[in-house]
Order: sequence, then structure tokens, then C-alpha cells
Amino acid sequence: MSLKGTFKDKLNSSRFLVTGEVSPPKGIDFSPAIQNMKSIQGFADAINVTDNQCATLHMSSMAFARLMIENGYSDPVMQMTCRDRNRIGLQSDLLGAAALGIPNILVMSGDHPKCGDHPTAKPVYDFDSVQLLKTIQNLKNGYDFSGARLSASPDFCVGVVSNTDPNERLQLMKLEKKISFDVDFIQTQAVFDIEMFKAFLEKIQSDIPIIAGIIPIRSAQMACYMDANIPGITIPNEIHERIQASDDPISEGMKIAADLIKQLKPICRGVHMMPVGLHTYTEKILKKANVFE
Amino acid sequence: MIVTKAKPFDSILPFAEGRKNIFILGCNVCAAKMKTGGEPEILKLVGQLEEAGHPITGWVLPTAACSIRSFDHLISKNEKIKDADCILVMACGSGTSIVSSLTDIFVTGTNETVSLGGCSGFDLSERLCVFCGECNIGDFSGICPNARCPKAQMNGPCGGSKNGKCEVSRDSECVWYLIEKKMDSIHSIPKLHDIQMPKNHKV
Repeated sequence: MSLKGTFKDKLNSSRFLVTGEVSPPKGIDFSPAIQNMKSIQGFADAINVTDNQCATLHMSSMAFARLMIENGYSDPVMQMTCRDRNRIGLQSDLLGAAALGIPNILVMSGDHPKCGDHPTAKPVYDFDSVQLLKTIQNLKNGYDFSGARLSASPDFCVGVVSNTDPNERLQLMKLEKKISFDVDFIQTQAVFDIEMFKAFLEKIQSDIPIIAGIIPIRSAQMACYMDANIPGITIPNEIHERIQASDDPISEGMKIAADLIKQLKPICRGVHMMPVGLHTYTEKILKKANVFE
Repeated sequence: MIVTKAKPFDSILPFAEGRKNIFILGCNVCAAKMKTGGEPEILKLVGQLEEAGHPITGWVLPTAACSIRSFDHLISKNEKIKDADCILVMACGSGTSIVSSLTDIFVTGTNETVSLGGCSGFDLSERLCVFCGECNIGDFSGICPNARCPKAQMNGPCGGSKNGKCEVSRDSECVWYLIEKKMDSIHSIPKLHDIQMPKNHKV
């Protein structure tokens, strides 16, 4: 179960960490999303709050992160994309988040509006993720992007995301740029190929805690779809074969996830659980993987 | 070259309603190249409007609609423009704006202005430049990520790039894939490690 202390403290420990992810509601009834949070808050060392994921309108990640705090969870990770706000909006929300007690920020570019439910929206991308990280570093040092002094500065624990294909050298180059700005943790796209992930770790050669993404597979079709369509995801044939041969793909998907976590435990600092939908099986998977022992 | 696309005729018609003296002005540079404002397109629009019951007073095809000396210069080419109560400009938004700045007559454009692009042979390339006013295209050997990446990613590809294709359209190549190929061919990949700072959007 989760250690005492903040997520930042835990990142500085040697413990294998577990993070999860919840989506704010599409509307203002936040109870089901809080229930989802509660299903993992007992063991999650941090819980991400998605920022209009898939470029699809939801309640703001900042508002829901604050609601998580008010409902008993102190370590939300507010995801922040560069898609919807210019440099004034991004910095303003960062100052607001700090004032609301949100301790962790995860920076990403964000899916393009064309991929979501408002395809005619203006894509902003005034900053890219590297530039936003540089600006967060400035804010932490007490200055805004224009160099003006802040009355008090935020002290975020800052994370970045990455794909794990060791052959994508420009994506690795971008990750190196990101982690040059006082980054506290890296969360990765879902890992299915351990050898590929090991090669990625070797290429990165970083002391920054790396938390590997886990998506439990629920069907053979889902595995094929992710393998073919989701950037950064590669699923080895052996996993396809296991899920195709199973009469109970959900259970087999849980076993596969647990097997992956067992193999990841000795080589990285934690796992980031990203089920499609609710965290119904997250605790069972982690138990199967002996994470709590 | 400014890339334009002709608006549907039905969306031009309302501007012709109630006008007695419609005048058409084309552009013999970009719009002519794009087949949205050269002589054949002007004559086609004349025919369509006349068929719809809107006789045309006259037309003119200046070299570039965005670079007109004066209204008197247009009069010298076709004096009917003096009597017009509506000028339809078959050019880009810039050309339409210049024409409007020369006269009090009602002016509108017949094209959508899409981007700054270009062509080599018959291949049209759209959105090669977004007029940022802070050009650093040399950092990428002539391929601008600010213009050609839908997310304007200046420091490397986003996580949505897959097999060299763009997240927004899997039919399009990721501009960072093109940059990587080009920079690799000139042994300049290390140059891409420089951190690019945000653009200055101050007008």
C-alpha cells in the first residue's frame, strides 16, 4: 500500500510506485469520477487527472484535481496540454493550480482538436511541451515567461510523458530536451514489449524516475487496434497469441498486465495504470503482480 | 504563392443580389496559377452570374491584385469600374483587401485563402509558411515545423507521430520525419538538439 508522504517524497525513495489515471466527467456530476478515484486511492501513490483527453470536452483537470483534494486524495497529478491555452492562459492556470494546493503537474502536447469532439476548434499550441517545461521552471524560480517577478512562486512536482520506442530518435531527443528542465518523473506510453523497453532505458540513461504505462488488454480486437493505431504502442506476437487463444480475454489481459509488471519491477521505478474505462480490475492486477508484498 | 480555393458559386450569389453594376477583378499571378482568378475563371464567373440574372458591367485582370498602383490605374484598364456598385475580387484575401482600400465601392472576394504554399511541376504544396515573422527555417534545412506541423511542434515530433505519419492525417507525412530525413542526409541531426524558444507573436 502507498507510503506516507507526498508523491515527490516517494519519488525520492527506492519504493516501486503505482500511479493511476482518472478522467473528469463530461458534465458537472463528478460523483462517479470520484468513486473511480476512491477505488484506487488506497494504494495509488499519485493519480493523474486527464486534460480533455483525446481532445474531447470534459470538466477541467484543474477543477477536478481540486475536487479530488476536497474528497480526500492529496496527490492528484494535473495533466496540462498545450492545445487549448496560450502562454498567458497556461501560466495563469499553473498559478491557480498552485494556489488551490495541486502539487503535481504532467506536461504534454495534447491530441489535436481534429481527433476529438470539437474538430473545428482553433488549435493553440503557442508553446510546445519543451517550452512549457522551461516556463514552469521559470515560475518555480519566481518569474513569469516575460521575466516579471511573481509575488510567491509555485513548487510543483513536474512530470513528462514519453513513448518508449528506442528507434524513434527524434522522440528520444525531445525527451532529452524535456528532462533538461528539472523534471521529477517520466510516465511512459503503455509498455507491452519488455525488450524494447529495456533498450529505451539504455538509450535514455537518466536518473529521473521512469514509471511505465500499463493498459490491461480486454479483447483480441483491442490488442490489434492498439498495435495498429495507437502511436508508441507495440504489442509482441506472443501477447496477441495469448489473448486470441483465451476463452476469457479479460482475465488473460489481467494476467498479461501482471506478468508485465513483474518484469518491469526490477528495471523501472513504477507502473502507471491506464485501464480503458474504470479501475475495476486495477487492484487485482497489482495483487497478481505481487506489487503490495 | 498564395493558395486559394474558389468559394461555391451559391455563396457568391447573395453578394450580387440587388446590384446593378457588378465588376469582376482577377489576379494574374497566384490566383491564375491556382485557377481561381485567371481569365478562364473570370469568364466562367461572368457566364454563371449572367445566367443567374446578374449582368456584368466589366472585368479586368491586373498583374497582381495585391499590388495595384492606384484606382486610376484600374480605370485606365477598364473605365467601367467607375460605375460599379460591387467589385468581386477573384484573388486572395490580401488582393481583395488592397482593392477595397482603393475605393468606397462595395468589395468582396470569391475565393477562400488557404495558406502560403507553392508548387514544383504539377505538385501543389499547401501551408509551407505561416508568416511568423521570425524565420528560422535554416535550423531545419528549409522545412518549417511551425507551418507544417499541425501542432507547431518546434522541438521534435509529438507522441502522435506513427511510422513517419502525422497524427492528424495518417495520409500525410509527419514533418519531423521529413526534417529527420533531410538533416540526416546532410549529417546535421545534432543541430536539432538545440532548444527552440516560443515564437514572438507581437505585431
